[in-house]
Amino acid sequence: MKFNSDPNWLKKQAALEDNCFVSVGGLVSSVEELEQRTQQATASRTAFVNLLDLTRRKHKLTWEQLSQKLDVDLAELIEIGNDETYKPTPRTVTQIAHFLNVPAEKLFILSGLVRVHDRYFQEAALRFAARSQPVRELSSEEQEALKEYVKFLCER
Amino acid sequence: MKARIQIVDNATGQAVEAEIFDEVTVEHFIETQQEWRPIVLKAARQLAARGSHQLIPQHFHWDWTTKAPELKVLANAFYGIRCNNQLQGLMKVETVGPFCTCRLPEQAGKSLVYVDYVEVAPWNLKVLAAALGEKPRYNIIGTRLIEAAVLKSKEEECKGRIGLHSLPMTDSFYINACRMTPVGRDPAKQNLLWLEYTPEQAENFLTGAK
Repeated sequence: MKFNSDPNWLKKQAALEDNCFVSVGGLVSSVEELEQRTQQATASRTAFVNLLDLTRRKHKLTWEQLSQKLDVDLAELIEIGNDETYKPTPRTVTQIAHFLNVPAEKLFILSGLVRVHDRYFQEAALRFAARSQPVRELSSEEQEALKEYVKFLCER
Repeated sequence: MKARIQIVDNATGQAVEAEIFDEVTVEHFIETQQEWRPIVLKAARQLAARGSHQLIPQHFHWDWTTKAPELKVLANAFYGIRCNNQLQGLMKVETVGPFCTCRLPEQAGKSLVYVDYVEVAPWNLKVLAAALGEKPRYNIIGTRLIEAAVLKSKEEECKGRIGLHSLPMTDSFYINACRMTPVGRDPAKQNLLWLEYTPEQAENFLTGAK
């Protein structure tokens, strides 16, 4: 492809484009419609976080150890786990995909970075999100940690 | 394909180096969602709050990530422009499909390259930048993308013929700046205006001839 490099052409076209709006594509009716749409990825996002957490536990890793293994910032992992609106970087999702041994493109969807219209994918994510938070008794370490933290909160 | 091109820095009025490329990936789509969309939405809210509904960009809802599966379709081509380490514009064209046929009577039935989506980064659009109290950064991004579509059309032996559906507020860019021929409203596509280039018009656009 040979693009025009004539400065006069550039100047002329710049003047013509200067006050124009440039876009091509579909239309939408309102700002509200967009804002509603951005809230539809919750199930996928929960599935993403649970998938990461279950795999972390399966490998008996702390979040710190996981962040080192993934070579990503610990703060970002914490954000992913705790803030449903937080969008991880593509690099982080790619690193997680390698760790989980799943295709990065699927994790892009699950993490909310990529939006696709795939009903089966969304339903599977919803089912996994619902099933991956089983009711189980706390281990003695968890009970101790919980007790200590509640005590700390009460004392402060 | 990667090519060095020049675009115009609005702050100085001078030409600056940029890169146009066709190896667009899902990461570029994610970049538009993370870098562009919040700005577009913020500007849209500002315009709505001021009652300037007619200035709200009609493309503000776009989500390029929904196009991720289309990256694998051979009949599609995507182009991006990068400058100052930021994506400045993105375009999708189709070489095969229901809209890849000319409608202008003098070339009706011939093949063309269909420009399906074009978007320029919000900080380069005067109305959006102004809504946020800023000045637009770079100019001529839209022109460069249309230039790429015409060059693609030549590669595909369509002789520069391209066609597209323009959003109402962008009609003036395609008619006045690109000098495409408006053919008519298309009821099959939200009644948007259909525009086309003949090979002669495309050549005039590429060379700057009248």
